[in-house]
Amino acid sequence: MSLTDTKDIMVYAELSDGMPVNAVLEILAKARTLADARGEAVVALMAGAAREEAETALIQAGADKVIAVSTDGWHPEVYAEILKNTVESSKPALFLAAATQYGKDLTPAVAKAFGTACAVDVLDIQEKDGQFVFTCPVYGGTVLNDVVITQAPAVASVRSGSFSKAVDEARQGDIVRESAPAVDLKTIIKESVKEIAESVNLEEAEVIVAGGRGMGSKENFELVKELAEVCGGVVGATRPAIEDEWIPRSHQVGQSGKIVVPKLYIACGISGATQHVSGMIGSDYIVAINKDEDAPIFDVADVGIVDDAIKVIPLLIDAIKEIKA
Amino acid sequence: MEILVCIKQVPDDSVEITYDAEKNAPALDGVTDVVNAFDTYALEMAARFKESEGGEITVVSIGDDSVKNALKNCLAVGADKAYLVKTENAQALSAEGVAQALAQAKAAIETAENKKFDLVFCGKESTDYASSQVGIMLADELDAPVVTNVIAVEKADEGVDIKQETEEGYLLLHAAMPCVVTVQKPNYDPRYPTIKSKMAARKKPIEELAMGETAASVMDVLKVYGPKKREAGVKIKAESAEEAVAQAMALMTEAKVF
Repeated sequence: MSLTDTKDIMVYAELSDGMPVNAVLEILAKARTLADARGEAVVALMAGAAREEAETALIQAGADKVIAVSTDGWHPEVYAEILKNTVESSKPALFLAAATQYGKDLTPAVAKAFGTACAVDVLDIQEKDGQFVFTCPVYGGTVLNDVVITQAPAVASVRSGSFSKAVDEARQGDIVRESAPAVDLKTIIKESVKEIAESVNLEEAEVIVAGGRGMGSKENFELVKELAEVCGGVVGATRPAIEDEWIPRSHQVGQSGKIVVPKLYIACGISGATQHVSGMIGSDYIVAINKDEDAPIFDVADVGIVDDAIKVIPLLIDAIKEIKA
Repeated sequence: MEILVCIKQVPDDSVEITYDAEKNAPALDGVTDVVNAFDTYALEMAARFKESEGGEITVVSIGDDSVKNALKNCLAVGADKAYLVKTENAQALSAEGVAQALAQAKAAIETAENKKFDLVFCGKESTDYASSQVGIMLADELDAPVVTNVIAVEKADEGVDIKQETEEGYLLLHAAMPCVVTVQKPNYDPRYPTIKSKMAARKKPIEELAMGETAASVMDVLKVYGPKKREAGVKIKAESAEEAVAQAMALMTEAKVF
């Protein structure tokens, strides 16, 4: 099915614990700017169990209208159907979602249903001659592509941290409530298992202290956690540290983990394999501690300390405590 | 159990690919081609599934003759048969185009070998363009169930139980076969080839399939460029750790990090 006479920007508002995830609020700010320039509206589409404040949060972040669809819990097939149905009836020119695990599953389904394409992990959106230009990272972000989608709606998943939130508490908007369509399910969810007690929010962290194989042992990895705590940051890790079970995989930064953009990233005992660096290269300020002075992590670090991380971290903890005191 | 594994040949992801301003393209000269890392996990998961349930693994890819090398490598680490959808222009295909070509290849192999595939394994994304869409679109073409970010697949009743990795743990899903899974890194590594398995792989044929009609790409690349280069900063090599930390703290304070 292809759509004609499309207008407005629709943002899929993914929820976590009943509230829109941070990336959605960032996307709404960009959608607002783009829509204002086109004289169009921003529509937020929300599905599932939302808290009462969720609608207000979406409107204040930039939406003119919130479509709230009630569902009986999460199922990717139901959500894909909700998205497709709403796109079909609202005919947006642009459909955006956060590039989260499920955002990246749902956007291709929308693109395929309307014979259009989906730009992935978008870092920037600009409008040029009436078309949306998306900046997409390739090869782990070492090369960038600017692309346009020539069929409407243009669909894109946007990487967390690409835009800044712009909350306007005075903004008013409309709320439309709908119920979920009946879907003939192809898969059944038998069980949802929480293995990780703590929630780890690497994507939204301002400070990340990460450790790699150079930390040497699970006991030494505790130093990374301690430094993170002193800095008020979140703990990150490389794949080897995860595979040695020093820390759960929810902390992984890089190719098979998270892409992060903190203000400060402290890499402890991390050599700097491209699979890891591609996940943290967007950090504002990078500090690296590694005893191998040829470690590639130093090529991207603002400050590099060539020394044993196990000796350096306790000293760093003391020095930071002193500053913060 | 008949298993199809879809693979893509990509530039080695352990090499940092930079932007080549002279060629206005990614600098790929001298970079070895490998099987996409996530596809190697998919093949390993398929091989383990076959070892417990029996059956045959067919591996398929799209591209020119150079891709036969990637397929040979798969034949040495668990695949029984290999097919190549022959095209000189694979990079011009959209995610939808790749999905359609794979769906056509699946049908052609099923006809040629008089069988039906029960499971289709893909990597969750490729390490080059990482669009993470092909498996989802392939399932749509086949009107089959799909589960993404898969870390385990087990036979259960008439179908399969599939573990999907999530932020907090996993979802256990059940699907009827045929079904498509896109594989995330499980907690094991792909097997290595042996001299014997490499020799055997070399002798196996790689069947060619003709490229059919696919949807034209609706995505145009306007510009290829490199991100703003990160300058390497100050590397501190001091007499003592105390001295190094003092110097580092001075730089960080100056940069107003704290």
